[in-house]
Amino acid sequence: MKTQMTTQAKTQAKTQTKTPTKSRMNALNFKTIFTVLKKELRDHLRDRRTAMMIFVSSVAVGPLVLIGMSYFISSIEEKAEKKEVFVQNIVHAPQLANFMARQDFTVKEPKPDFRELIGQGKHDAVLVIPNDFTEKFVTGKADVELVYDDTRQDASAQSIGILRRVVQGFNREVSGQRLVAHGISGKILTAVEIQETNMGTPAQRAAMLLFIIPWLTLIVGITGCMAVAIDMTAGERERGSLEPLLMNPIARTSMIIGKWLAVACYGMGIVLLLLAGFWATLTFYPLPKIASVVTLSSAQYLGFAIMLLPFTPAIGSLQMLIATYGRSFKEAQTYVSYLYTVVSFIPVIAMFAQLKDATWQLYVPMLGQMMVLTRILRGEHLEAMHFLIPLGICLAIALFSVAMLTRLMGQEKIIFGRS
Amino acid sequence: MIEVRDLKKQFGNVTAVNGVTFTAKSGAITGLLGPNGAGKTTTIRMIGTLVGIGIGGGSVSVNGLDVATNADAVRQTSGLLTDARGLYTRMTAHENIRYYADLRGIDPAKSEATIARYVGWLDMKDILDRRTDGFSQGEKMKVAIVRALVHEPSHVILDEPTNGLDVMTTRALRELVKRLKAEGRTVMFSSHIMQEVAALCDEIIIISKGRVTAQGTTNELLSMSGKDNLEDAFVALAEIDGEHAHQTQQEAALK
Repeated sequence: MKTQMTTQAKTQAKTQTKTPTKSRMNALNFKTIFTVLKKELRDHLRDRRTAMMIFVSSVAVGPLVLIGMSYFISSIEEKAEKKEVFVQNIVHAPQLANFMARQDFTVKEPKPDFRELIGQGKHDAVLVIPNDFTEKFVTGKADVELVYDDTRQDASAQSIGILRRVVQGFNREVSGQRLVAHGISGKILTAVEIQETNMGTPAQRAAMLLFIIPWLTLIVGITGCMAVAIDMTAGERERGSLEPLLMNPIARTSMIIGKWLAVACYGMGIVLLLLAGFWATLTFYPLPKIASVVTLSSAQYLGFAIMLLPFTPAIGSLQMLIATYGRSFKEAQTYVSYLYTVVSFIPVIAMFAQLKDATWQLYVPMLGQMMVLTRILRGEHLEAMHFLIPLGICLAIALFSVAMLTRLMGQEKIIFGRS
Repeated sequence: MIEVRDLKKQFGNVTAVNGVTFTAKSGAITGLLGPNGAGKTTTIRMIGTLVGIGIGGGSVSVNGLDVATNADAVRQTSGLLTDARGLYTRMTAHENIRYYADLRGIDPAKSEATIARYVGWLDMKDILDRRTDGFSQGEKMKVAIVRALVHEPSHVILDEPTNGLDVMTTRALRELVKRLKAEGRTVMFSSHIMQEVAALCDEIIIISKGRVTAQGTTNELLSMSGKDNLEDAFVALAEIDGEHAHQTQQEAALK
């Protein structure tokens, strides 16, 4: 290649012809791409500390999320199963105590300052029996007080329901008995009997929790290649190695593509490590509670991979583009962190706005990924467009970024502007 | 041969280069001398295809090739060292140099031979396989120079190469420049130190405020300025304005 060019150069020198060689500047040269890619990967994998930190944290996300979620779910289920109720002054209501005992409830005395604690969300709902309960009960005018805070969305919300149902059940039994005493069937009290059938599959029950897995997965993908993307662009400027690099007779496009592919490899490696972390946890660590919420089949892993593998390179290219405006690593880090904040908050905003799944969301980076990943987890129906549209968007982002980067790298203020 | 004709460059409101004309002959060392901010670096970057030449900005030809239209061909035949000499610190000196050789598509056996030759000249065997992190100024410079020469360019352009270097490294560099000349290459190098330029160069071009104010051998410059030492001559020649410079040059030519 080189010898060819020099002979060409010599003939040109002799004949004084002025053939523009500009076309070569835009050409795709696979050898250049490969040389740049190889160098960047080697260079960045040698940054052991950063690489280890990124790789270890990517693998660790799966186990941490799954084990954390498992404890959270089991604490909810425990409360539902444990059949514990807090009743103050149960001694004044022996009839109720008897009913609860027959229903297998364990009656517990609340803490003395339970009213405050409930307000702070630190205590389950409490049933308060007045001192004159038995006297009034005989006359049929007894009342009880139910203390709770329904603004709390945690497990204590369940304790309210349990107490209500217990008291209602007690009412029904007592009034039934009283009617029978008057010769009327107790069944008259219930015009309609409620048969409860919970349609929510275990997967749908944990919908809120399912937000976390895709979200964290995407965020790890975004943060993973940040350091590499910045070092390859702003780092190159800061070191003063960009100017000599561009003195080589190589096509800028090829150079940028080589760099971008290195970022892409890094990002995709992180995604694979991340999925491996989930797989290893689900396979080797017994988490029975999680199994009822998340079971990942090989098809679901594949779906995750298809969504995430193009996403990280696309975001990586955008990070490279933004970082190029930074004269130093630090400056670029500030710029890129804005992107990071915006992108990572898109799904949170969507969640608070309670957006329903819609096709337009597929066109929004991050939102589309979130939607599809959540659907994959829930085991919901997916069509080809769910994969193709986000893939197309990712491709468009990468193409745009590479084109912009190629232009930027030719600008004097970028090549020479050093801090 | 490098031919610079009426070169002009403007950055915003600042005129960096304002009509520079000179010729650097093949097989000779041409020194570009000038105070800080005279336009040396911009001129060199324009010769090196890093800064574009706008319309009406004059012309530069390297080895007969117009820089504006044959940028890649010029890059093939010239080796440029500017003040941006950044190395990749996680890579060894050798890897840094080889990266450029590979980018230029040079046959590995050939590039290894070239590297070995320069490593011998610059006495850098000990540092070759060390990572460049923590290299001294001189060590960094040596790596950057070999990196710029790894494709054996026929035209070598060095921008203030001795800046911040100790005496030993400076000497090694001067030897290198002389050897390059002996091999028949066109060498251009800029400096703001008169003595250094005088000791090495066959021809000196003094640039000031974006213009060539004087041009000639050391003796010619001395007689042109009427001073008897180099430093005074440089100061005197750097301070004359463009019009005057033109006249002195013509006078010198008549003599």
